[in-house]
Amino acid sequence: MPVRKWMLTRRVLGQAGAATALAAVVGRPARADRPYRIGALNPITGAGSTYGSGMQKTILFALEEVKRAGGVDGRPIEVYAEDTQTSPDAAVLAARKLIDANKVDAIIGTWSSSVSLAVLPITNEANCLLLHTSSAPALSTPAQNPKHLAWRFQAASHQIGDAYAAIAAHEKASRAAAMAFNNDVQIASVGFFRSAWEKAGGKLPNPVVYEPNRTSYAAELQQALSEKPDFLVVSGYVPDTSIILREAYEAGNTAKIVIPGWAMGPATVKALGAEVLEGLIVVDAVPDAGSAAFKTFDAAYRAATGNPGSSNIYAAMCYDMVAVLTLAMQKAGPSADNAAIAQVIPEVANPPGQAVSSFAEGRKLLQAGQKINYEGASGPIDFDERGDVTPVFGVSVFHDGKLEQRYLLK
Amino acid sequence: MSAAVGLNLAVAGLIQGLLIALAGLAVSLCFAVARFPNAATGDFMTFAAYAGVAAQAWTGSLLAGAASAVLLTAGLAVASYVLVFRNFRGRSLVAPLIASIGLAFLLRSVLTFFVGFDQHSFHVPIARAIVFAGARVRPIDLWLAGTSAVTLLAVLAVLFLTPIGRRMRAVADNPELARASGIRARAVMLTLWTLIGACSAVGGVMLGLQTVVVPEMGWNLLLPAFAAAVLGGVGNPTGAVLAGIALGLVQALSTPLVGFTYQTAISFILLIATLVLRPQGLLGRAEPVR
Repeated sequence: MPVRKWMLTRRVLGQAGAATALAAVVGRPARADRPYRIGALNPITGAGSTYGSGMQKTILFALEEVKRAGGVDGRPIEVYAEDTQTSPDAAVLAARKLIDANKVDAIIGTWSSSVSLAVLPITNEANCLLLHTSSAPALSTPAQNPKHLAWRFQAASHQIGDAYAAIAAHEKASRAAAMAFNNDVQIASVGFFRSAWEKAGGKLPNPVVYEPNRTSYAAELQQALSEKPDFLVVSGYVPDTSIILREAYEAGNTAKIVIPGWAMGPATVKALGAEVLEGLIVVDAVPDAGSAAFKTFDAAYRAATGNPGSSNIYAAMCYDMVAVLTLAMQKAGPSADNAAIAQVIPEVANPPGQAVSSFAEGRKLLQAGQKINYEGASGPIDFDERGDVTPVFGVSVFHDGKLEQRYLLK
Repeated sequence: MSAAVGLNLAVAGLIQGLLIALAGLAVSLCFAVARFPNAATGDFMTFAAYAGVAAQAWTGSLLAGAASAVLLTAGLAVASYVLVFRNFRGRSLVAPLIASIGLAFLLRSVLTFFVGFDQHSFHVPIARAIVFAGARVRPIDLWLAGTSAVTLLAVLAVLFLTPIGRRMRAVADNPELARASGIRARAVMLTLWTLIGACSAVGGVMLGLQTVVVPEMGWNLLLPAFAAAVLGGVGNPTGAVLAGIALGLVQALSTPLVGFTYQTAISFILLIATLVLRPQGLLGRAEPVR
């Protein structure tokens, strides 16, 4: 069967990649201690492939940077690379391999909620840390994350929903409407939008939930626009959003449309052109381009991939994952287990403490016994009690075929 | 439901139905003459859409893109017959069915290996819809509906009005008798696969023009296509066309009752109900016991 063959090849490739990565990053462990093993589990192929390779390369160069700074005291680090194929099935197989065969202590950089939700029970059972870039609310509920081993570096659905409501207020919307792709994350984020908007005194008709792979969304759009809204949130993915935006234009829509950043790519602009996209509002968690960590990340990312760091917010998140994890390991000490490491993650990432923008800076202060507060490339990286970061959202508007950032929501 | 919403749903359903009809016709033709359900039909469509996008980018003309897509996909279909399916002649339908699933995976893997997973699209001028008694009709939809109707009629005309069509129907009816009467299988099969390729290509380009071109686009249409082929009466191409259009319309018009999420389920409930009451399908006849 071709499928099986493909998976075997992926596995072999993953191992080959891991072997090279190992040689590159760690060399031979200098001490007799058991090394701390990290699994870089990223969407190299599938729908997330736009981001995956950059994420994995970032994890490798970030660990290289840690090593150059002297490494974590008493704790050599090894890294193993795998591909989720952006599919929960393949991700579960890869996570099992990382945990059972490679004995990793942490899995970092999973992308897309369905993948992270599938991997989470496995990491929980193995007392393995999971640092992910997914939005689903269920990833940080006490039931799903009982040992506090999972940490979210991406905006959660409720934060995205609040951001939509903040944009609606900023745009002085009077009647709002929403459409959502039929899955947990998208329905949840428009649901949070609705409750935030209604709490602020607005009204929102039932969001229109639409199916993937339809040839036309004209009828869905007509339903969403039936009460003549002046503000419409379309929460979906790239292919369906492209079709909806085109059909909204064809139908002569006048409502301001807001979409999440992951629902558009360069292909959208090429397919639709400047006229259709004019005035479209795009909201996304944005890196703090002025921060020192972002500048370091950006330079290394350009060297590794040839693209600017701002093109891959998820790679910036991976950069911060490595920094936060290694700083927490440094603070917890060489014999700490994952529970102890997880416990100090907020202590190195949140205020109070001296702001640091790299492992090297943080390590020195930690060695001197000081408190630190890591300020990252993807944002300030401050965790709430559930283990979710509070991201900064950038709101951009299409004008003359170009996306222009207008304001930040903090 | 207001009349305008109903009309719009009917327009959307008709377009979707014509698309399912094209895919269903390709499946049904293969089943009637080559006697197996071809699971690679969806990926023929995907191939056609990518070929069309590439040819349009190269020549700058949509018409040239679509024409190249039809030619290349017909070539692909004929090649898949010559290289793969010919070897299964006389075997039970399971062997060529499995081979066609394998071919579908192979085609998609080769495609994504070279062009990746990012979406592509045809370049078509985007125009405001024409409002027609409350129904919004996009100019491109009129073109697509016309083209697919012409294609469907042309394929049926080849089948019912030409000598080669008569021979194809003879092979479909009774392969042994056809061979005994001196009908050469080679010409029949090459024509058949050309038609299958052309039909899939028009469907693929049409789908690509309406939506976006992604690797799974054709595969996602395979289930409705199979449903149309079964509902129309297995091996009855005219039935598959009518059933495809009916499925599209029923899905769209059931929306006011069940919402956008469950319209697919409704069309399949209807399919099951029809088959319970009329196991041979809409236009099929009961398989004679030999």
